[in-house]
Amino acid sequence: MINLDPRTKILMLMFFGVLVIMLDSAASLLVCFLISIGLIVLSSPSWRQYRLLVVFILFATWGLIYSQAIFYNASPRTVLFTLVGHDVPIIGSITGGVRVYREGLLHGAIQSLRFNTTLAIGCFIVWSTQPRDLLLAFVKLRVPYSLAFMVNTSLHYIPLIAAESANVIRSQRLRGFRYLQFNPFQIIRGVLNSFRPILTNNMRRATHLGEAVESRGFSPDIVGNQRTYLKSLKMQPRDILLIAAGTAILVVVITLKAMYFCYANGIFYAFWLRGMYTFVREIL
Amino acid sequence: MSQIEIRDVSFTYPSRSEPSLKRVNAEVECGEFILLTGPTGCGKSTLLRTLNGLIPHASGGVLSGNVSMDDTNLADQSLAAICQHVGLLFQNPDDQFFCTVVEDELAFGLENLGIPPFQIDARIDAALTQVKLSSEFRGRAISTLSGGEKQRIALACLCVMQPRVLLLDEPTSHLDPTSTRDILEILRQLNRQNGITMVIAAHRVSEIAPLCDRVWLMSHAEIALDSPVNRAFSDLSPYRKLGVEVPELAEISEQMGLPERPLTVDQAAQLFLHSDKFPNLSAPTSNLSNFVSHEQRHQGSRNLLASVENLTFQYPRTEIPALTEVSFEIGEGEVTAIMGANGSGKTTLLLSILGLLRPTEGQILIADIGRERPKLRKLAGKIGIVFQDPDLLLQAETVNDEVAFGPKNLKLSRSEIQDRTKEVMSAFDLANLGNEAPYSLSRGQRQRTATAAVYSLLPAILLLDEPTAGQDFSHLRQLMGVVCDTVERQNKTLIFCTHDAQLTLQYAKRVLLLRQGELIFDGRPSEAFSNSDLLEHASLIAPPRTQLKWRLTNSQPNMPCR
Repeated sequence: MINLDPRTKILMLMFFGVLVIMLDSAASLLVCFLISIGLIVLSSPSWRQYRLLVVFILFATWGLIYSQAIFYNASPRTVLFTLVGHDVPIIGSITGGVRVYREGLLHGAIQSLRFNTTLAIGCFIVWSTQPRDLLLAFVKLRVPYSLAFMVNTSLHYIPLIAAESANVIRSQRLRGFRYLQFNPFQIIRGVLNSFRPILTNNMRRATHLGEAVESRGFSPDIVGNQRTYLKSLKMQPRDILLIAAGTAILVVVITLKAMYFCYANGIFYAFWLRGMYTFVREIL
Repeated sequence: MSQIEIRDVSFTYPSRSEPSLKRVNAEVECGEFILLTGPTGCGKSTLLRTLNGLIPHASGGVLSGNVSMDDTNLADQSLAAICQHVGLLFQNPDDQFFCTVVEDELAFGLENLGIPPFQIDARIDAALTQVKLSSEFRGRAISTLSGGEKQRIALACLCVMQPRVLLLDEPTSHLDPTSTRDILEILRQLNRQNGITMVIAAHRVSEIAPLCDRVWLMSHAEIALDSPVNRAFSDLSPYRKLGVEVPELAEISEQMGLPERPLTVDQAAQLFLHSDKFPNLSAPTSNLSNFVSHEQRHQGSRNLLASVENLTFQYPRTEIPALTEVSFEIGEGEVTAIMGANGSGKTTLLLSILGLLRPTEGQILIADIGRERPKLRKLAGKIGIVFQDPDLLLQAETVNDEVAFGPKNLKLSRSEIQDRTKEVMSAFDLANLGNEAPYSLSRGQRQRTATAAVYSLLPAILLLDEPTAGQDFSHLRQLMGVVCDTVERQNKTLIFCTHDAQLTLQYAKRVLLLRQGELIFDGRPSEAFSNSDLLEHASLIAPPRTQLKWRLTNSQPNMPCR
């Protein structure tokens, strides 16, 4: 799986990106998410990468479920419990009360499955593909070279920036700074201060990198046909098979969803399609 | 007609009021090798950038005057055209790589120029040969290369473009002595055999001067001295005045009152053998007051501060340990240097002492801390580190706040914080910069600020990771002088990693030599640097003074390695 053509991987990301928007049921989204996790496992990431992914997924899931549970404003909605009553002085009168809604929790879970699926497939692509192949794939997919180069370089520098950020945080801790303390202003100040060296170093690095690439003939004005490539990409039968399967699934889902939309809005109904309507409502 | 002509070139960066180049005039002949030196911030890098067209093509600011190559004004050519003739090598190779595989990095420039793939293939092989690397390197991941190999690949990236002029900005400042020697040998060959013109900006004058034909000494945005190398060091006072390193052998000759200025050990040996005087070749040492000898230390006259016992550390997904069964003890008040080739385990050892890396085997015991390491913030006031890049530490709005940051976190009283900040700023010569923003300072001042910020916590052990990188001679001596003096006066312990033999000889009372993660020597620097076998084993090179001593006495005393 990891030897797939990078174009296939990018197209898979796009298929899943559309699919998770089209699907509404938690079960089908869970299947998509499990497939994306399967891809991650196949790319044999390090434990550190696993840990990173788990942290991202947990934060995203927590953030989305928590925010949707509180701010869900569609109807019907069922109050599970009240965090701040409407009769609490000041906050209660301003907010009208803060409550957790059952439908909000479910909606947050669905949103987090959508987000986490695309996140996992993005990680799969980055962790299982050489940057040069990714760059070539972007170019072959007719992304402008300067944009493809920019995306590729950003991905390349993420680990460096992460290591540098870790050093900044370590330096602050070694100088006795506590990131977790009772005074929120101190926390905010510490976090903002830690951005200063990271930002400054990255601006310096970006300047050096810009000079280095321009000194070697790179120009944002380069157009695809002026540039040559030492290596080229070649699709294998399995790539074509996967793209065909992905396209077919996407077309079927979109078609079924469109037909269900017509039924639900009274535009078109056929008696013999009842099974399909049930399938879309319950499964998709 | 000269190959490069610089006529009345002045340049001011957009954010500055003072020009970085002031009416610079110079000429470069085809095939010349020029050493461009001067203190930090004098305009060396800016001058190199005007020579490859980055200024004005890829930089804002105001440029006046002309830089022409083969009678064509560079301002009238595109960067894509200039880069086929002029290559610029930057100080840190990591800042200029953006591919993960060597082959991609080498192909990048040629691909941009639209060269057909079969030609790119051939040129990559030729460039790798020029930098003395085999074609097997094509498939290597850049992250797996050593510092020296990275710089060679960066050089190959320029060679692949088949330039006629190479500009090099501090190409050896991050390299160990052996890698430096290899890179300089490659540059010499490219110059002598391929006729490539070289302009190399460097602080390490002693290393480069023997290769060059001409010296440009820059000061305050101007070329203060432009002289053939055989006359460039007749008078050493301009270099000293600007705080630029003076070639050690030339200095010895000057001290003997001889008119000649030898730059190589061969030249010096010839000169001194035919002279009726014998030079004083004892290594310079710092005049620190309470120096305790190696013997005294091992007799236990000092309190034991740290003990490293059979330390082995292996990074995940690697086959060879970064450190193997390293054992030593550190006492209070010691100044210890850790030396070794790039990748020998110096930084890993520092990070292990700090507790950032957990030993795979063995243990590190530190007084008042014990076996189990507390949280990092609990180490404040016990161990402090200044990483290789001091800018990562600078986070406050003013120098004053930066130095006070640590004491504030220790919850000292207001008067204690004020007193300590004042004292440390005074010791590190920062008193008049208190209200300046740390990022607006020069590189040397930033390094001093970062060190002072760590030192303000009064750690029992201060760790410095490569304080020499990118520093000019005077700033480095100033920093080390201040740190060593303060550390000794307050009976603290200093451990620093370096490639600079002279720095170790001058300031350290003890040196630990690492080779591929193994500790191969623990003793006095003067002992280490008088043992040629040991130095070779550790990929180090004796300072010119020591090499000359060996040559003149025709003996190379060897001591058993540990």
